[in-house]
Amino acid sequence: MKQKRFCALMLVASLTAGILGGCGGDGDAKTSVNGGTEVSEGASGDVVELVFYNADGKEDPWTDPVAEALTAATGVRLKVEYPVSSDDEKVALMIAEQNYPDLIFAKGDAGSLIEAGALIDMTDLIEEYGPNIKKMYGDEFDKLKYSEDDPSIYQLSSYAVGGEVFKSAGTAQLQWDVLKENNYEIPDTLDKLEKVLKDYIAAHPTTDDGLDTIGFTLSASDWHWMITLGNPAGYIADGAPDNGQWIIDENNTAMYKFRSEAEREYFRWMNRMYNEGILDPEFATQTHEDYIAKIASGRVLALFDTDWDYSDGEKILKGDGKYGKTYAPLPLTMNEDIKCPTLMYQGLTTGQGIGISTSCEDPVAAIKYLDYICSDEGQVLVQWGIEGVNYFVDEDGKRYRTEEEVKYSVEDKDYAKKTGVGFHNYPFPCYGNGVTDSTGSTYTTTSRESVIADYDEEQKAGCEAWNVDLLLDVFPQPEEFETPDYSPIWAYVKPSEFDEIGNQLDEIAWSSLISCVVGDEASFDASYDKMIADLEDAGMTEAEQMLTDIIKEKVAIVQ
Amino acid sequence: MKVGKQKKEKVIRQKFSTKLMWKQRYLLLMSVPFVIWLIIFKYVPLWGWTMAFQEVKPKTFALPFWEREFVGLENFKKAFTDRLFGQTMINTVGISILGIVIGTVMAILFALMLNEICFSRFKKVTQTVSYLPHFVSWVVIASIAKMVLNDGGMLDTLLGKNLKLMSTNSVLFWFVVCIINVWKEVGWDAIVYLSAMAGIDQGLYEAAKVDGANRLQRIWHITLPGIKPTVVVLLIMSIGGALNVGMERQMLLSNGIVQDHAMVLSWFAYIRGIGSNNYGLGTAIGMFQSLVGIALLLIANKVAGWLGESRLL
Repeated sequence: MKQKRFCALMLVASLTAGILGGCGGDGDAKTSVNGGTEVSEGASGDVVELVFYNADGKEDPWTDPVAEALTAATGVRLKVEYPVSSDDEKVALMIAEQNYPDLIFAKGDAGSLIEAGALIDMTDLIEEYGPNIKKMYGDEFDKLKYSEDDPSIYQLSSYAVGGEVFKSAGTAQLQWDVLKENNYEIPDTLDKLEKVLKDYIAAHPTTDDGLDTIGFTLSASDWHWMITLGNPAGYIADGAPDNGQWIIDENNTAMYKFRSEAEREYFRWMNRMYNEGILDPEFATQTHEDYIAKIASGRVLALFDTDWDYSDGEKILKGDGKYGKTYAPLPLTMNEDIKCPTLMYQGLTTGQGIGISTSCEDPVAAIKYLDYICSDEGQVLVQWGIEGVNYFVDEDGKRYRTEEEVKYSVEDKDYAKKTGVGFHNYPFPCYGNGVTDSTGSTYTTTSRESVIADYDEEQKAGCEAWNVDLLLDVFPQPEEFETPDYSPIWAYVKPSEFDEIGNQLDEIAWSSLISCVVGDEASFDASYDKMIADLEDAGMTEAEQMLTDIIKEKVAIVQ
Repeated sequence: MKVGKQKKEKVIRQKFSTKLMWKQRYLLLMSVPFVIWLIIFKYVPLWGWTMAFQEVKPKTFALPFWEREFVGLENFKKAFTDRLFGQTMINTVGISILGIVIGTVMAILFALMLNEICFSRFKKVTQTVSYLPHFVSWVVIASIAKMVLNDGGMLDTLLGKNLKLMSTNSVLFWFVVCIINVWKEVGWDAIVYLSAMAGIDQGLYEAAKVDGANRLQRIWHITLPGIKPTVVVLLIMSIGGALNVGMERQMLLSNGIVQDHAMVLSWFAYIRGIGSNNYGLGTAIGMFQSLVGIALLLIANKVAGWLGESRLL
């Protein structure tokens, strides 16, 4: 009996707490609205509150110093909404309810919003109120236009304009320990990599913890297959930059990339590696979590991945102090004739960015806010923070951060949230790393020097052995590539007719490629031919033609 | 059989009349809220089926019904000619039948075993423990299952060889899914059979004992016939839902290799409808699934009638 009463008491208590908590939340929100008003009273009178849906968003009460400075400068405060679990549903619901937030960053779902007529054309607004937006995009401004028939600008870009790459994991990755055994000689072709891996495994069949060494592994049980199985095939076999599952030739003709003969050879190599046990025999069924766990244990010698995809595993390695098991970027290609395209600047990535919705009652305030973000003052505010607090200016007029500030920003994971520095830039328009303003300082806090200063022991040793300042100096440099007239295809908003076929092609390629890799060597060609035939049946040629037309249109707008 | 027939005759069919209605007015009034609930939540949404005959994409989703373009049976045609459709149907029916057969047999066996246990505390604990997985989400069950069954998972390590349970693109995957499902649901499903067994007259067992029937004979001749009506009702119901193979289970357990044998109708409707933003097509597939479900239910019901069992409808 007593027990029951106690349970009931607990229940009541927790419910009450929940209700009170809910009320508390409301109260907070209200006071912060008032706070915002106070700030702006000095500047421009009323504060306009805009609801902003951010598909990559986090909770943002808009109370940090940078947010307050933004409100003071623009008279706008943002009420940030973000997906709780899956973002797809949220955008679909917005369309169903015809109830849109004022500003929307829908990421990959922008296509359905545009089709539903939810985003307004910003062209005239930018013409009138957006000089800084035009200045930021410069030559690439026309790339923001939707299509030849409908040259409206529905979204800005959430990706950086111009700039250099200082940090990249390259096309493939190899553990520093393995490189060291190879006297820091870079295995830049598949044959060399194969030999290095085999030698290392022969010398070290198990790790120090007694786990079997794995040559390399892949994450292919869900969409990650595109990152670890699909993308590297294009870079390594064809020297093609990232355009999703497509290769665009010099005449701007699209080809579904697995049709390429070079990629057939790449997957033949994968198949051989699988059968020889260099490629993890468990790769086909493991989940992404298993994959990360394997990387974190230090057993995996090489990867075909991208830094943001495997960084969770590498973080654990660093936490354990196993720097030798972290990865060096590798400019890997199939043979010497192919140039590794990692550092190629593909031009502004368009198709994903912030748009203004038809529900927005004050689009002028919205565009003015966006224009402020694009201005030099706004960029410095969101990237560097507040002068005299987060950064200082030296005698030459250049911006710098104190050592404590840098340390604070690295060590406190809530740094961005507390100070607001770097918290309000993505997914708003921004300049790339290394771009400088009129004072000669970079817009972003990341620069060549800051990246070099951040290198750990292994990376420093690597630089020394390779006789370079920046690890990426061993890659073919951006100047060696020509920037294409079209934006990267993967981010495009494509018509749903195209997506319908495109999705089916990817479905087929996904399961067929894995089957090809895990099959025996004798049946490889038969499996690969079957995949090509299936792709053909699903409308590959038709889709290629459609994409070619889309690219032609995009190029026509720019020229 | 005889007992059943006698019982049936006892029910006097009353003729429908206003007088009868008046007599039962309170009963009728009490059912009104539930009828309204049923109409609002079960029949009104059926209006959405009109989308199956229209082209509904994000562009036209918000338009009122009459302004959308009618395409007739175009969506159905598209669904039936899809490259995945044939295999999807085979998978759905295959997994379903396998699931019903294995699931029912295992649940009955499990219930029989529990029923034969005299030590009642042990019985209770076992029962509770065994139906707990029913309340655990498929996300968790799938992760556990993958840990055990994946290539290089626990089972492979234990046996020291690669069984390729999750990486063979064949009907083997159906069995794997069904066995995992049995593990999750067997305790829960057994509850109904257990309660049916509890309702059997204990006098029958005593009489059989006196006649010299051993344990197995008693199970065979008393327990099983005793729960037969329950089994039939549950079978009819599960056959009605044969095409409703849960999507999340398939999605969570599948991987790139077994795709061909993991795709089921509800998942198919999801990727073609929501995934490709073609809501009309998705509705058409869902509608097909429901209609076939109703047909199956009626057929199963009829068959049960022929077999001399009490019908559900």
